[in-house]
Parts: sequence; C-alpha cells; structure tokens
Amino acid sequence: MAIYIVTSDRLAGFKRGDQLDAKDIDGDIEHLIEAGHISPQASKKSAKTKDTDTAKD
Amino acid sequence: MATTVYLSNPALTINAVDLTDQATSATLTFAFDQLETTAFGQTARVFGASTVTSLQNNTFEVELYQSYAATETEASIYGLVGIQTDIEISPSAAGLATPSATAPKYTLTGAYLASHTPISATLGELSTITLTFTGGTLTKATS
Repeated sequence: MAIYIVTSDRLAGFKRGDQLDAKDIDGDIEHLIEAGHISPQASKKSAKTKDTDTAKD
Repeated sequence: MATTVYLSNPALTINAVDLTDQATSATLTFAFDQLETTAFGQTARVFGASTVTSLQNNTFEVELYQSYAATETEASIYGLVGIQTDIEISPSAAGLATPSATAPKYTLTGAYLASHTPISATLGELSTITLTFTGGTLTKATS
C-alpha cells in the first residue's frame, strides 16, 4: 500500500511530517497530492546486491 | 432574555483539508425532496408520509478568503470543481475531532462542486469566494 507524507498544516487530523496510507485519508488522494497537502513517499530500494559475474573459463 | 453572547465559530474541512481559518460564513441545509401524497378524499394538500421516502437534497454554502499561497484556498479548491468531495463541519473545533450532543459533527458525503470563481477581486477589498456544494448524503454524529 502506498505511503504518503503530510506536507501541509491543513490536513485534518494530521501534522506536517506525519506518515499515513490511503485508508487513513478521507479525501481525494490525487487532489490532495496536487494541492500540496500530501506527497507519495518514495519506496527505499533494497541494498541487496546482485551478482552479475558471468566470467567463463 | 439572552444573557450569553454567542460568537459563531464553526470548524470545517473540505476534502479533508481544514479551511476553518479562511472561512467567514457557512450554511448547511439539510433537506428532502417534497413529495406530494395528497389523495382523493382529502381536503388539504399533504406531503410525505410517516416515514421519509424521498431523496435528500442537501446544499452547503461557504464563503472563504481567497489565497493563492501554497496549500491555501485556491490550491485546495481548484481541483474539486466538477467532482464529488466530502465536507465535515461542526459548531466548534472540538466537535470535529470528538463529536458530542452539544458539538455534533455533520458529514456531507459525495457533495458536488459545480463552479468556482478563481478570480473574484475588488479594488481595496480582501478577495473572497463563495462555494456552493450540492447533493451528497448528510449524516450527523454526536459521539
């Protein structure tokens, strides 16, 4: 589920910097993003490395 | 004789955005369509029945100071034109968070905003906008 961070002081029931997901929001999410009240939180990429060594004998 | 001065100070959210500090007036009208049920043998027109069977026909009108700053009035309202949104209003700020019998919270779900006036300016005056939301289902919470 997408996570959003509150980016304004006007979102009812939340403070700037709070994290929430879609089910916490009563309003239209697309419009709240457009109006600058919330912002989608970028998912962190895994630090796992991928072995791409394909050296042949 | 009234001995208490009551200053109207409701709190409201539009699309979950608290615009209380931009609002100067708000009118919520709870209504049902008036269906005539007069029948032969009656001597006066009658409407409705013992149970309400008609459709809600609610309106919410609010006047807001216009502000073009980030996350303020214009940013919060412009995108709502032509779509449905939810409105919450209570006679007090406390009622929005914790409704009670003396501070009920009214929720208008699925109200439609048909128009908005992004520019409504008069020289020497603070710019205000008046929004009229129509339709939607009204519920009242007291706890």
